[in-house]
This record gives sequence, structure tokens and C-alpha cells, in this order.
Amino acid sequence: MSKTVLTVDDSRTMRDMLMLTLKNAGYRVVQAVDGAHGLEVLAGENADIIITDINMPRLDGFGFIEGVRQDPRHRATPILVLTTESDGEKKTRARNAGATGWIVKPFNPDKLVDAVRRVAA
Amino acid sequence: MDPLEAIKATFFQECDELLADLESGLLELEGGGGDIETVNAVFRAVHSVKGGAGAFGLEPLVRFAHVFETTLDEMRSGRLATEPAAVKVMLRAADVLADHVSAARGQGVVDEAGSVRLVGELKALCGGGAAEGGADDEVVMVDTEVEDDGFGDFDFTPVIVEIDAPAEAAALDPAALPTWRIGFKPSRAMYAKANETALLLRELDRIGACQVALNADSLPDFDALDPEESYFSWTIDIETDQGEGAIREVFEFVEDDCEIVVEATGAGAEAPLDAPLSFDTPSEPLDAPALAAAPEVEVVAEPATPDGDVMALLERAKLAAAEIQATAPASAPADAPRAAAPPPPAAAAATHPADGGDAKTGAGTTIRVDLERVDRLIDLVGELVINQAMLTQRVGESGLARSSTVSVGLEDLEHLTREIQDSVMAIRAQPVKSVFQRMPRLVREVAAMTNKQVRLTTEGENTEVDKTVIERLSDPLIHMIRNAIDHGLEKPEVRVAAGKPAEGVVKLCALHRSGRIVIEVSDDGAGINRERVKQIALDKGLIAPDATLTDEETDNLIFLPGFSTAATVSDISGRGVGMDVVRRQVQALGGRISITSIPGKGSTFSLSLPLTLAVLDGMVVGVSGHTLVTPLTAIIETLQPKANDVRLLGPNGAVLAVRDAYVPLVDVGAVLGYRKGETDWTTGVVLLVESEVGGRAALLVDAIQGQRQVVIKSLEANYQRVEGIAAATILGDGRVALILDVDALIDVRRKDARRSAAPPAARLPLAS
Repeated sequence: MSKTVLTVDDSRTMRDMLMLTLKNAGYRVVQAVDGAHGLEVLAGENADIIITDINMPRLDGFGFIEGVRQDPRHRATPILVLTTESDGEKKTRARNAGATGWIVKPFNPDKLVDAVRRVAA
Repeated sequence: MDPLEAIKATFFQECDELLADLESGLLELEGGGGDIETVNAVFRAVHSVKGGAGAFGLEPLVRFAHVFETTLDEMRSGRLATEPAAVKVMLRAADVLADHVSAARGQGVVDEAGSVRLVGELKALCGGGAAEGGADDEVVMVDTEVEDDGFGDFDFTPVIVEIDAPAEAAALDPAALPTWRIGFKPSRAMYAKANETALLLRELDRIGACQVALNADSLPDFDALDPEESYFSWTIDIETDQGEGAIREVFEFVEDDCEIVVEATGAGAEAPLDAPLSFDTPSEPLDAPALAAAPEVEVVAEPATPDGDVMALLERAKLAAAEIQATAPASAPADAPRAAAPPPPAAAAATHPADGGDAKTGAGTTIRVDLERVDRLIDLVGELVINQAMLTQRVGESGLARSSTVSVGLEDLEHLTREIQDSVMAIRAQPVKSVFQRMPRLVREVAAMTNKQVRLTTEGENTEVDKTVIERLSDPLIHMIRNAIDHGLEKPEVRVAAGKPAEGVVKLCALHRSGRIVIEVSDDGAGINRERVKQIALDKGLIAPDATLTDEETDNLIFLPGFSTAATVSDISGRGVGMDVVRRQVQALGGRISITSIPGKGSTFSLSLPLTLAVLDGMVVGVSGHTLVTPLTAIIETLQPKANDVRLLGPNGAVLAVRDAYVPLVDVGAVLGYRKGETDWTTGVVLLVESEVGGRAALLVDAIQGQRQVVIKSLEANYQRVEGIAAATILGDGRVALILDVDALIDVRRKDARRSAAPPAARLPLAS
């Protein structure tokens, strides 16, 4: 059975890009439009991997990651942070919140799939 | 469509929305409203534009967005105040950003100089220093063509490696690959972030053949074991030609949560495996003693299935963990060596539902549908309406009683059809907001060009109207707003002298009124200078010297073709198009435009448009055995012409006296070529129509059959354009009926009249 990836991003373009890339790589994709929505989706969907943006309305990526990690079901779910900020501060904050790895936007499809594969059991 | 192209289309669509959000956010800030969340939203908008643009390699757009974003970040972090001056620069930057988006889309070009200027202004806002390097760093473009080193994006420090020995070895034995020794000791934190040693080993295995040795010495006795602690370390010997970079890339995500050493050991199998690892690699802070022990505890004698050993250990650990869980169910996840900072389950249970509860708002109430599908549905509903009308007619002809069950059922069907039609039309309806949103920018630009101070207020932007109407509404509105600022509003000094505030107000307002949408553009300027309007109309021969005109008629003169009040042709309103063009555009939408003006107080232009272009209320008339439909909106009244009201003019022309004014009389049958020869002007019925091009006119038809709503079918799409005919429809009896284009009909008639005689219409006082 193919693995399920939850993508959380407020930009439709990004969501579409992720969807296209991941689907082509054989993953099942579920989407959320921001952190709060992401937690809501997780309540009803079991994701094997989570990819999330940082800058989002309602609940940002940091808050989302913390929320995911608080859920006993998702303490060990890999979370990749998708962000254009390559500055270390954001990355460190995301890691401290419990992110597994990161993908620097703009990503190319190979790199994205590679990163997902690297963290997916 | 290529999926990537489709996403690109989505991107531009999203850009439009983001730019609109950006602008409305900035306007809110400009007006002194808004809070940190507004600034955040504005930042996110630019950020998302940049993100998407980066994905598509739209470099100029990314560069500009980046500078903009940097400045907004200053504002977001509170280092830059949201004062009006700064926000004004941002508003202009938003305009330029919109230009960049358009250019990226292949529409229009960016004013490079203006763009560069704004980049300068934005950087100046950041106080120079902060944004100085901002434009160039961090803008990483995706370039799939260029073969980069594969880890250009990653920010580890490259390590200089001594490769002399391996190189020599490689020279001796070309087939041998360089070998590396990796010492790896993960920390508890690494597992807490859902990283997994087994996966890292799997990755290593992908880049070269590995021998993995596990050091389980630190594993405490079972009763002292913390299932979430990290006790193991590994030593991996790998043969790969991909270099240290590739190896370190595997550990990219975990390098802060583990101790790691990578060292070149040689090029062949005979390389000294027992050579101790050295931990003085410059970039890695290392707990040397912990790892120095590693080679010595290399307990795996048979390296045949290194992964297997790891897996076996993992399996053992897993079993142990399961046992632990069995005894202490509340403590940990089942798959053991993965550790995570364990929140007390009670706390997790308490906080999680709260998160879920907050998230309930705002998601998933709309769907996006391909417009083609909606149009197809509308077409089908149109067919349904026609079919239903046919059925009704057939049943009527068959002589069934009105009270028969068939007739009653048919009536219900008619109601349903009407409801379906309305609902489908509602799908296409959109708020006029999308058009209104483009206007603030226009106002800013025109205000800057004319040196006037203008404030735009909008009202009713959620008023809905058919998508096609919206698309075609933009041009006339743009022209009317330009006109209001350029011609309507006075210069600030003039306004102050007249006791008005220096800043003029242009108001844009939309509302529904009796099944139509009314859009008003009003200004608080000087109003129409009627003396001047009259003089110009006289000079241009548009009215007779002795014409006596009411104020309203004078105001309406500005809609005549060839009329332009601008004394000098400015580059704003005077682009060779006058209000007559606006009027024609509005009429093409089945609408009307009117003006009211109060000297010294301002003018109001008012557009009235149908809500949809797919159906039309029409009056069905008969002409020479043909059935025609006249749009009801054009008809003012119908009357029976009396012989002494008709005055013949020239060989074919005639006018009709209607309440002390003469209106041109048009024989529809003759103009459309249904009949030839002398027209008997006194038989039949006259439809008094309002044609905005030439005032009013009277259309002579044989008989009126009734009013009904008809579904518009394009004649051009199905046949070809016919002068005097706007479109066609299918009536209940299945026959095609043509829908008259009233303005065109009068034009045709007027051209004929000009050919045959002196133009009578222009010499006559305008009918009212």
C-alpha cells in the first residue's frame, strides 16, 4: 500500500506542486491549508509523512509541529519543513519544535522525493 | 494540459488573489487600521508570490518580491513602523509587483526603471544596512538543467580531507573505490524528531557498500533501561566514489543531534580497518573518547550481512520495548529505539481535542470547478428551458384542458425549470469585488499623473453578477474613473478655494435593483460645465444652434460620438476614446448608462446592467411572417401610429411625432430585407425604443405576440454575424427567432437615410 503524505501549505500553487510531485512518485497525498487545518485533517487521517510550510495563517508551522508531536500517534511521524528561509534560525526553531528534516524552497521534484524517501520508514 | 502548466496557471490565479489581499491589507494599514496580523498577512502574500515564482524560475519576479519581502519582514518584526509614508511606498511596490506578475505571465512589460527605483526605496526603508545584501542572497532558483553538486542548498561546512593515500591506492588498483569510516552516535533528541538510524543506514547503503558495526556497550541492564534513551553507536565502513559530501548529506537532518565523524580510510579492501578514527575533523565538535572506543568494540566478526545485524538488534530492542509497554502501558510508543520527549498521555489527550476544535472554521466550504463545465451545464439548462417551452406549447395545441393532470404537471415542471435556471446562473455569479479591487491602483496612478489628491471609497463590492459581465465591466469602469478624476475633480488649490477639502472623493458603488445590477461612479468635483458642453456640441455640429436642451439633455451630450470635453488631450482620459465608447461597451452588455450632475457638487455616472448574458427578457413580435425578439430593456413604450403623426422624410424615411418631439421611424421588415417597396406606416405597432447612440427611435412591426424570457444563442458561433441582429433564440414551437440589435438597426436605417437625403435626425431637436 502506498504511503500517505500530508502536505500543509497555505499556497495553492505549492499544494498543487507537492501533490503532483508526490503522486508521480507513488505516494497518496492529503492536503491541509494551514496548521490548524492540518491538525484537523490528522485527526481523521493517518499520515506516514508530513510536509509543512512555516509561514501560515491561523497556526504556523512551528505550532503545527508541536501540535503533531503532542499527539501520541504522531510522536514518531517524520515531519519535513518546507520553507524558503534558508536561515538557520528558522530551521533551528523548526527542529526544536520536533521537525525531522527540511526541504528548501524552491525545491525540484527529485530533491523533494529524495527527502521524503530519506525519512520515510 | 501539461500538469506543470496547469499548476502555473493556478499560480497566476493565486497571485491575483494574493495581490488583492496584499493591496487590501496595505490599504487597511494606510487607513491606520490593521494590526500585527494584517502585517503578517501582507507579508505572507508577498512571501507566497515569491515562493511560487521561485518554483517556476521566474527570476525578475522573485528578485523584486524578495526585496519587498525583506522590507515587510522589517515591518513585521516591528523595526519599521507602519506609518503612512512607508505604507505608501509599499502600495506602489505592490503595484510594481503586480506588473512583475503580469510580465511573468506574458502580459505587458515592467517599467524597469520604476522597478529599480522602488527597490531602492524599499531598501531605504530598511535603513540600508539590513536590506543591503538582501536582494541577492538566499534567492535560490531551481534549475534542473544545471548539474549542481547536489548539495548546494545545504549549509554544512565542507571539510577538507586528506585524500593522498586513497588516490595512490586508487592509482594502484583502478577498480577499488575510496573507503570511508563513519562514526555515528545519535542522541536522544534525534529520535525525538522522528529520525531513525535504520533509515540513515539504508541511505548510506544506497551510495555504497557498507559494513556496519554496532556498539551496544552502553546498553544498561534491563531494569535501568529507559526505552526512549539512545544507547547505541555505530561504526560504518563504506566504499563509495561519491565523496564525503554525499556521506554527510545522508546525515544532514541529524547532524545537530548526533556525534559524527567521517574519515577517509583508503581505496581498497585491504585498507587498514583497524586504523583508529581520528576525531579532529575541524567542523565537528566531537566527544572523542566516546567514539574513540568504537573501533575497538567492533564485535561483528562476520561482516556478511551488516544490515541484518542492525535489523536483528532493532528487532530485539523492539521486543524489549513491547515488553516494557506491556508492563507499563502508559509510557511509550511501540517501536522502541525511536524516542521522543514523552508528554504525559493525559496532557496530550487534554490538549489535542482543543487543537482540533480550533481548526473547525473556514475550511472546505467552496470547490473550484472548471468554468467549461459550468458553461456546459448552463447550455444544457438552456436546452431544458426551450424543451419545456416546446412541451407546454404542444400540450396547449393538443387541446387538453387546463385542469388536466398533464397541464398541472407541466406547470410544476415550469417552476422547477425556472428554479434550476436561476440556481445555475447563481453559480456563474461572482462578486464585483474582483473588478473593484483593480481600481485603487488606477486611482493612485491617475491621481499622481494629474497632481490631484483622491480618495476612493467603494461600497457593495460583494454584489454579485454574471462572470461574463464582470469580465467586460472592467474597461468601462476604468474609463469612468479616469474621467471622474481627470475631468470631474478639481485641482487641490481650486477645491480649497471653493471651500472643499483638498482631497477629492471618488465613490464606486454597486447594488442590485429590480433584477439588474447598478454601478455608480460618483465624484465630489465641480460637476459638468453645461455651458462648455453645449458650446462644444455646437462647435462640432452635434446639436442645432437653436436647440433648447434641458440640463439632463446637456449632460447626456457627452455620450455623443465625437464629443470630448478635454481642452487639451491629456494622456489619461483623452486616449481617443470618449464617453461614447463607454456607452457602447455598456450597451454591448445589454446595459444603460446615465449621468446626473450638480454644479459645484459633483457628478454621478450610473450603469445599469443585466445580471446575466445568457437569458434575456424579450418582447416577441411578428414582422412579415417572421418572429423576432426585441430586448425588453430597450423598449420604453408601444403605441399604434396615427396617420397624422407620421411625417414622411425623403423617399424612404419617416419620422413619428411622439408628444411634441419627432423620432425616426424604422420599418424593421424593410431594414432586414423581409419586404420591399413602400411602407405603410400606419398599420402595425410601433415600439418606442431607447437607442443610446441616437436618442430614441420607433420600430415598426406587424404585431406584438407577447413577452417572454428567452435563452440567448450566439448567431456568430452557429452561423455568422448579421447586421441588425444581436443573437438568436429557440421558441417554444421549436422555431428559431432572431433577437434584434436595436442600435444596429437604427444605424442601418440612418446610413440609408444619409445616402438618400440630408440627414434628418441630426437637424431635428433631439427627442426626449
